[in-house]
Amino acid sequence: MPVYSISHVENVRVCVVMVGLPARGKSLIAQKIVRYLSWLSIKSKCFNVGTYRRKLASPTGADADATFFSPQNKEGVKYREEAVQSAIKDMMGWFLDENGVVGILDATNTTRDRRDQVLRICRENYIEPLFLESWCDDGELIRQNILDVKTTSPDYIDKDSEFALSDFTKRIEYYKDIYQTLDASVDKNLSFIKLINVSSHVILNRIESYLESRIVYYVMNLHIKPRSIWLSRHGESEYNLTGQIGGDANLSERGWKYAKKLPELVLKSLGPENQHTNLTVWTSTLQRTQQTSSFLPYKKKLSWKALDELDAGDCDGMTYEEIEQQFPEDFKARDDNKYEYRYRGGESYRDIVIRLEPIIMELERQENILIITHQAVLRCIYAYFMNVPQEESPWMSIPLHTLIKLEPRAYSTLVSRIKADIPAVSTYKEKGTSQLGESDGGNSVRSRDLLKGDQTK
Amino acid sequence: MTSPTSPVFAEDCELTNGFGSEPISVSTTPIPAANSGRRTTKRWSFHNDSKPNLVERPSEASNQGRRRLSDITGVDGVHKEIDANHISPAQLYSTESGRLFHAGKICIVLAGLPGRGKTHLSVSLTRYLRWLGVKTHSFHLGDYRRRNFDDLDQSLFIEDTKLRLKIINECTNDMLNFFENDKGQVAIYDAVNPFPKNRFELHEKFKNLNIQTLFIESSVTDDTIIMKNMESAAASSPDYANWDYDKAYKDYSDRIKALMPYYIPMGDEDDNNKLSYIKFINFGERIELHNSNYGYLINKVVFFLMNSRIKSGSVFFARCHNNSINYSDDPPLDTNGKTYAKNLCYTLIEHLQKQRKEYVENIDLGIQDEDGTPGTNTPTSLKQKRSFSLDEKHLPAGADGVDVNSMVVWTSVKKRTIESTKYFKAANINVRHRIQLSQKNPGVVGSMEEDEIKEAFPTEYEQYLKDPYHHRFSRAESYHDLAIKIEPLILEMERMSGDVLIIADESVLRVFYGYLMASSCFDIPYLPFSQDEIIEIKFNAYANVASQIPIKDFSCK
Repeated sequence: MPVYSISHVENVRVCVVMVGLPARGKSLIAQKIVRYLSWLSIKSKCFNVGTYRRKLASPTGADADATFFSPQNKEGVKYREEAVQSAIKDMMGWFLDENGVVGILDATNTTRDRRDQVLRICRENYIEPLFLESWCDDGELIRQNILDVKTTSPDYIDKDSEFALSDFTKRIEYYKDIYQTLDASVDKNLSFIKLINVSSHVILNRIESYLESRIVYYVMNLHIKPRSIWLSRHGESEYNLTGQIGGDANLSERGWKYAKKLPELVLKSLGPENQHTNLTVWTSTLQRTQQTSSFLPYKKKLSWKALDELDAGDCDGMTYEEIEQQFPEDFKARDDNKYEYRYRGGESYRDIVIRLEPIIMELERQENILIITHQAVLRCIYAYFMNVPQEESPWMSIPLHTLIKLEPRAYSTLVSRIKADIPAVSTYKEKGTSQLGESDGGNSVRSRDLLKGDQTK
Repeated sequence: MTSPTSPVFAEDCELTNGFGSEPISVSTTPIPAANSGRRTTKRWSFHNDSKPNLVERPSEASNQGRRRLSDITGVDGVHKEIDANHISPAQLYSTESGRLFHAGKICIVLAGLPGRGKTHLSVSLTRYLRWLGVKTHSFHLGDYRRRNFDDLDQSLFIEDTKLRLKIINECTNDMLNFFENDKGQVAIYDAVNPFPKNRFELHEKFKNLNIQTLFIESSVTDDTIIMKNMESAAASSPDYANWDYDKAYKDYSDRIKALMPYYIPMGDEDDNNKLSYIKFINFGERIELHNSNYGYLINKVVFFLMNSRIKSGSVFFARCHNNSINYSDDPPLDTNGKTYAKNLCYTLIEHLQKQRKEYVENIDLGIQDEDGTPGTNTPTSLKQKRSFSLDEKHLPAGADGVDVNSMVVWTSVKKRTIESTKYFKAANINVRHRIQLSQKNPGVVGSMEEDEIKEAFPTEYEQYLKDPYHHRFSRAESYHDLAIKIEPLILEMERMSGDVLIIADESVLRVFYGYLMASSCFDIPYLPFSQDEIIEIKFNAYANVASQIPIKDFSCK
């Protein structure tokens, strides 16, 4: 039976309809919502009308420059209308055939006519429309966003930067002529969020369900400052040496070596120009993560119960071999569905995701953070940033004595990792065996390479 | 999204701690007295020796041992004055200054005409923030007025007379004392605050004392909400104690009418004064945030406001059957458990039918199916298929509890609690299973009795006795961990207008009850929930009320 941390997924379906001119961060917000909800096992998908338009018009070269977006360009209008209609059609198909829960229509949706049309289709299909407008008149913010267009919009990948700038500015002007912003009195019956100048003013209108309020809360916690997040497992522990799981063991000798080397690894990862960057260190409440953090020079070190390792319940302190012998059925059940399997008296990966949710919310609000925690918890955090599907995330290999750096960007997250070059046992267990360690081919399991990259795109 | 400028509510640079964490390294060096007004690095956590001695603390809860059953029907503790060393159920850590260190001192100033639910708003916000561990107190200007004057002369509400200034000064002084001497973090100032000029003065005054102000204006455009609020004020406001209802109603409506021409809604002038304010319209129908700075606490407040509803339904608590079994075991219900499940469901339905709840109208406890589930007079589902049209614009979402006339049953994912809901399902009542409702993990002490624990872990047991709410046995969860885990459910509960029944282990019910009745964490671990009664909590603007419903025997029926 599915258990959701956000509730009422059982009977609510929401269509988030983005509204706003180009260069207002709509796609960024849309992508983040999809990532967040998917991680919470709420089926969500983004339907980007630009992608549909490119598929239709780009082969003909019709959308090569801004004139394509002029309301007077009949061919352009036709292509764009067709793109919107197929995006909506696909989204409705997805809601009905694939039991989607939150669909996001990522388009400008600048006119009331268009929004009424989406509204009608949603209502006819018992889907709750939630309009999300990003509105901005702060010249500096807009300029920043336009400058980023070269790197964020697929339309300008092979184009000259200067052309990209002027063409994109022209495109925005075309939209401005027909733009009707969401209005508290005219649109008073709609569910909507209007973000004005990146949240300095916000209007929340008729947020009717808990699921919608979670989406709104999440969006309000996002910020656009550049930052990095570092992830590390604790150093090798005494339990790692004996192959036992769980417990609250101390670091092994090699584990302490890693702890001593960690400050140096962090500096290396920061690069020469950022040596003085101040990080906040988060650990779990267990000995081995706090010991691993003990040589870091940063003042802010916090421990979180929510970062504790997956609770193996009755199997706590056992080796995989012992589990296989004593609880053969459980051992197999876990391999068959590792994400859902809940140890007797313990937790499943899904349970971890539920308890990590406030951590993720806090991470979105924070800047540079170094998290020292445990294998299962790291898999879940990593899965959030890299959008790894839940059937794969419990099988990801995250070796000991390795520092991982995540740099969240508008459309994806960059990953890099630094090995400490201190030997440690492997705690990776492949499917169908109680032996630890990674086999070369990895053919029986889909063990993921950490550097494979973000799955959002 | 938060703008790149640093949040105004940050104090020093200590913005880094979040909900659920605690500082690792605790310096034990005492801070010099001269430094006491500032944030310092010295913090005590619940797991540190430097915390206040709770045992010798003069609290009615410091006497050990199980509390008597009658305690559970006690009154709502939300108006209790909290002392400087008070610790709240979901509080994460404490600091020398007594405040959470990711937010400074905040004064939430309410604004709005009478009958706009300001008192309800201030009380429910106080409840939530206190529960989170933020030292919060509501200051109702009305209380100060009543203390000074007996009559209800309308001029008291409008003109800047000496008398009026006197009560305002008294109230403001108490707020300042709360910040200065009681380690207060959030003061909620519940008054009409009709003029932009005064609002700005208030803001300036607090700003000079390093206290941030956030205004929340409650405005209501829906006359039915105002009517309802007026009725409840006439019936229950302390202003009209011993008044004839009709006379009280008239007086209250005259008061609103008299104030109406003077009240200037928050808007351009407040914008120009750079005030941070939230317009809370028709109790959450629309929320507008102006000049928002998005500190941690403000985001929490907004999230709470989004989920806050005027509640007409009740929350019911019932224990799941046989919760003394091992934590990791998950047996199905035994025969007694099945009887209990039936009695529980029938007792509650009968109770709800007496209250004339529409959604149980058609359930006939006399008619039974072969397996003993109650029959209904209408064979089709009670849920009505909703119609769609653009003219009706916004229809209620399909979410649980949106409809005042509805009930949802929540249980954990354990077999015995799922099976306990069989009769409710048969009566077409929605049942939801939530992992967060599983009992508190007892860790190493498992199903041990108190004396066994005492023998096996003597030192830990002693620590546990000192602070049973926060103590975490090895590998176990504390009540505090539980409180953090169920926070999403608490907000979800706040959002529901209809009835909710929670069937769960005693440990979980204690935490929910602790939230709704603002119990202290010295009391929560001892709250008794017995298997022969259902606890009902009714919502009220000023204080919640708990009562017991004895479970009847329906087994022979």
